[in-house]
Amino acid sequence: MPKITRWFIKAGIIYFAAGIFLALIAEIPVVNTGSLLLPVYWHMLVMGWITQLIMGVSIWMFPRKHRDKEKREFILTWSAFWLLNTGLLLRFLSEPFLPLFRESSAISFIVVISAVLQVTAIIVYILEIWPRLQAREKRKSSRST
Amino acid sequence: MTNPSIWMIRLSLLYLLISASIGGLILSNIAISIHPMIWGLLPFHYELAVWGWFVQFVMGTSYWMFPKKMEGERRGAVIPAWIMIILFNFGLLILSTSTFNKIVVWSAFVGRSLMAIAVLIFIALIWQRVVTYKK
Repeated sequence: MPKITRWFIKAGIIYFAAGIFLALIAEIPVVNTGSLLLPVYWHMLVMGWITQLIMGVSIWMFPRKHRDKEKREFILTWSAFWLLNTGLLLRFLSEPFLPLFRESSAISFIVVISAVLQVTAIIVYILEIWPRLQAREKRKSSRST
Repeated sequence: MTNPSIWMIRLSLLYLLISASIGGLILSNIAISIHPMIWGLLPFHYELAVWGWFVQFVMGTSYWMFPKKMEGERRGAVIPAWIMIILFNFGLLILSTSTFNKIVVWSAFVGRSLMAIAVLIFIALIWQRVVTYKK
């Protein structure tokens, strides 16, 4: 398993645990967070865990088109990893506080930046995976030419 | 990689891109109030994420990776696989656009029905490939 896949899966597992833990906390009547934590733990599970697991495993298992272009793969996959995880982390640290600090432009700015980082991560991941989606015959012929 | 899988995974990546972009817009809208209508995109965002991205990606990858048959067409008949892809994506298109247009009451039902038929075809194709070949 390549290093980047291990990082994606381990980061995913951390979000999985955090998501389940937050969902548990939200159920405690005394805590009474209302719907504050709902988008946070949903996105921890959906983006942090499932999407990140898919990304890590597909980078590992999908046949490479550019076997000789390791630097390209390195840049795209690690950029996707850091963009996504920085975006998610900023989101989870800022989004729950938005309703509490409506006037704070700093928190609003962090939320917008987190959204931009997450979308950019998805674009970068697609740039890496899309060329790999080829029929075996086509891949062989493109390698031989 | 086989052609039906290539198309399912490509479509799932497109849905991921659309869904993530809309998600980013909704999140930004919470922070800086771009337009009140943007919040209405939430059902569209999660229908595309769940069905278009996760489910379709898993279907496409399993169709490619599961053990192949020893005789005949290696992954079963190809035409039902293409019908499955068309029905699933056409159904998803109807379902996701129904989140904007509540006037057409049956559109969500029609969309989900087409997707259900596609899932049944997928099960029929994949069931026979859930096997262990002895050495």
